[in-house]
Amino acid sequence: MKTFRFMIVTPDRTLFDGEVQEVIARTTEGDVGILAGHTRYAAALKTGMLTVKLENGEYRRAAVAEGFLKVSDERTTVISTAAEWAEEIDPDWAERSRKDALAKIKAAQNEPDRMARAELKLQRALNRLNVSGHGTGTFQSPKKH
Amino acid sequence: MPNLKDIKRRIHSVESTMQITKAMELVASSKFRRAKERAETCRPFFEQTYKLMAEIAAEDPYFNSQFVHKRVDNGSALLIVIAGDRGLAGGFNNNVLRMAQARIDELVQLGEKPIVMPVGQKAVDYFERREIRILKSYDHVAEHASIYLGIEMADLILSTYKRHTSLQSVELVFTNYVSPIHQVAQHMEIIPLTGLAGSHPRRCEVEYEPSPEAVFDKLVPQYVAGLLYGAIVESFASEQAARRTAMENATDNATEMIDKLSLQYNRARQSAITQELTEIVGGANALE
Repeated sequence: MKTFRFMIVTPDRTLFDGEVQEVIARTTEGDVGILAGHTRYAAALKTGMLTVKLENGEYRRAAVAEGFLKVSDERTTVISTAAEWAEEIDPDWAERSRKDALAKIKAAQNEPDRMARAELKLQRALNRLNVSGHGTGTFQSPKKH
Repeated sequence: MPNLKDIKRRIHSVESTMQITKAMELVASSKFRRAKERAETCRPFFEQTYKLMAEIAAEDPYFNSQFVHKRVDNGSALLIVIAGDRGLAGGFNNNVLRMAQARIDELVQLGEKPIVMPVGQKAVDYFERREIRILKSYDHVAEHASIYLGIEMADLILSTYKRHTSLQSVELVFTNYVSPIHQVAQHMEIIPLTGLAGSHPRRCEVEYEPSPEAVFDKLVPQYVAGLLYGAIVESFASEQAARRTAMENATDNATEMIDKLSLQYNRARQSAITQELTEIVGGANALE
């Protein structure tokens, strides 16, 4: 199968830079699959799972936070505030940050900006749990204690 | 002739100062290495975000976003000033604060009331002592900053810019890291993003989902967040580099001073011995 250059860029590191066969990402409009020779394309990404089919046919999954997907002639790039491979995620840490996010949501009841950020944090934590195989499968709205 | 005891005491005092400056130099030097690495790793993220934004703006010559064009000719400005949390870093804090103050004076002379957002204890202290409106202060954030701090700041800045229509621009004053011995205070405009449309002349047909405007509007906060995070990290690296240089100089000066004092001490000791000998010889002669 034909391959193309793919990069995942975050502020903390470049998670991936190499040849791949296929990329499946979750945009705000739904999942998209990118193959070699795709038309030039750009979309906003939601917090979600990213699946990459490597050169050798192996699949790798990553948890990706909000960001962008860009397909140009020379390469395809994911620019995101955070990204980790499924096997790197520490479920305990993700669980702690989920609880932390819930506490933040509670504390930010009357501040829409802080609330929005706390909700994004919760989404990231749930996404990490999900991608690492410790999640409940879907994003749940925060439970009232 | 200086007292032997006094010289000894001074040598001890300089030695203990040197121990402190030496330790600070080592700490700054290891913090600097880490900060520099962080500054370098976040650069591609910022560059890619900017490139995508420039491409969207270049796509359509009539591209319209509230962040792209100047909305008023003469207006006030929001200044984000990034300095350090601690002193003893040579001219680091002074240079950046002086540059910020020059810009503020300029605006005040035009009859405007600038707003500041100080980052770092030194900047916070500086502006709290002055009569100027502070939007929000951030102190002790630089060392463990993450992109989420940038996002928080970007949200606040963008909503302030949207709300205050008298704001002409959002500007940033920080210290740019050039080399381990050279750091320059810098002043730049963040918003409006003028010059963006012209920076990427090549037009190419791209499919945007859901629309170019929607993608662009989501990009702006990420761009500002990346820029601020980058500036904070860069400033921190500059601060550590400046401190290392300052402490290296202080250590060198202390070494020089100890050498001089030791020489004085030895001379004084020798002349004391000589005098004692002369006295003994003189005494013996007198007995004969």
